[in-house]
Amino acid sequence: MKAFSSMHPFVLMIYFLSVLITAMFINNPIIQFSALFGGIAFCGMLTTAKQKLSDIAFYIPLLILISITNPLFSHNGETPLFFMNGNAVTLEAIVYGVFIAVMVIGVMLWCKCYSLIMTSDKFLYLFGRVLPKPAIVMSTALRYIPMLKRQSAKVKKAQKAMGFYTSESYFDRLRFSLRVYSVLIGWSMENAVETAKAMNARGFKLKNHTSYSNYKFKTVDFLLLALNIALIIFVFWGVGSGAVAFSYYPQITHIDTSAFSLAVYSAYLILVFIPFFIEIQERIKWNCYRSKISALHTQRMKKEQ
Amino acid sequence: MKKILSYLIFLVCIPLAIALGMAVFGDRQYAFAAAAVAVLSCIPFFISFEKGENNTTRLVIIAVMVALSAIGRLVFYYVPGFKPVTAMVVITAIYFGAEAGFMTGALTALISNFFFGQGMWTPFQMLAWGLIGFAAGLLAKKLISSKVLLCTYGAVSGIAYSLILDLFGVIWADTYFNLSRYIAMVVSSAPFTILYAVSNVIFLLVLQKPLGKKIERVKDKYGI
Repeated sequence: MKAFSSMHPFVLMIYFLSVLITAMFINNPIIQFSALFGGIAFCGMLTTAKQKLSDIAFYIPLLILISITNPLFSHNGETPLFFMNGNAVTLEAIVYGVFIAVMVIGVMLWCKCYSLIMTSDKFLYLFGRVLPKPAIVMSTALRYIPMLKRQSAKVKKAQKAMGFYTSESYFDRLRFSLRVYSVLIGWSMENAVETAKAMNARGFKLKNHTSYSNYKFKTVDFLLLALNIALIIFVFWGVGSGAVAFSYYPQITHIDTSAFSLAVYSAYLILVFIPFFIEIQERIKWNCYRSKISALHTQRMKKEQ
Repeated sequence: MKKILSYLIFLVCIPLAIALGMAVFGDRQYAFAAAAVAVLSCIPFFISFEKGENNTTRLVIIAVMVALSAIGRLVFYYVPGFKPVTAMVVITAIYFGAEAGFMTGALTALISNFFFGQGMWTPFQMLAWGLIGFAAGLLAKKLISSKVLLCTYGAVSGIAYSLILDLFGVIWADTYFNLSRYIAMVVSSAPFTILYAVSNVIFLLVLQKPLGKKIERVKDKYGI
């Protein structure tokens, strides 16, 4: 159930780029917290309960670690709280540490969503037209990885069956790995040339060969792209005009609450929650269909009785 | 044409991106500039590979080298810290030229991150490994003839890779070059840096000869 991932790859790429660039480079606590919450909401829709637990166990210690270490390296700021080894630990450095942690974790969550949504086939579809040769190298390499994995398992079994390297010592394991790797290299070199011959025989060299793709640019893609561009231009306008300017050093500034900057914050909030809303809408639809199906089913059961 | 285009990208896009970053992002302009430079400097290499003379067989063999160095992380799962990626990139660069070396380095970073997780480190890894490959391709003749030089190159590139990624990490976290954080990061990652350097040397020593033989054999057999 990934409604957002069925969007056109180009729209998805533009969306992820605009969120990642703003989340990485705009220094403003409200923008950073919005990006974090948007990332949490979206990631929550994509992962299972078990993955969520392991994510929490990873990101919360990371948050604490980054916030604590910043005051140790940074002694800027005007409000010293106490002195440690002759260096001032300032209020500003602690606050900046918390916000940098929020920013880092927000960006990591969005990168995780990117990995789950922008699979390698979409990535290749986007870049295959602009740079066909690097794209063919990449897609061939991606196809070879599972093949090499299977082959290396076979080679390992064969080597073990012949009685090589059965001890558990570090050097034996290293030599065993190297031997398997070397066999793999020899095998894949021959295989590569055969693949290339097969590709040529099927007309890869011809100028007007076509490639398969399954993506269509639909009305909903256009709407999402238009909304995305409108919101991001508005946010950049706000950032460029200084309405959401914020600095931690030498003194923490106040957050601007004029009508314009509030509008910029809400625009950003809408931007980061778009995928969450699309997923929610899809779930409601799905539950609605399911209840309709089960209602139909019970009706039919009654008739049969 | 290809040269003009890649120079244009360097001459126009990079200052443009930095200016844009200064105008829009204020405090975080250096972080933005670093990311923009990393992404934009990869582009001319990709374009020159696109325009270069590469027949199907060369393309597929480079793809196999990328797959092999990515899979190397999995085969050497049993021996932590020992990864053959840099060695494979250097060997590809020596036998197939500088552009192929850059492609192998950059694409290995990109592809293995599809399995290990993409992040803001991806463009920096692509650039660092790509440049290691590119430089090895330029020095190819000297590296083939001298084992000592090859080992030195492996060790230096392992250390340089670690130092470069730490540098980007600092600029990314602090928005400027914070020396004390950089030193702390370099010191805390020192054991890994040393392990990288040592494993690069070992892999180059072990793999260069047999792999070189295999590549030469395939080149002879199929006339590439």
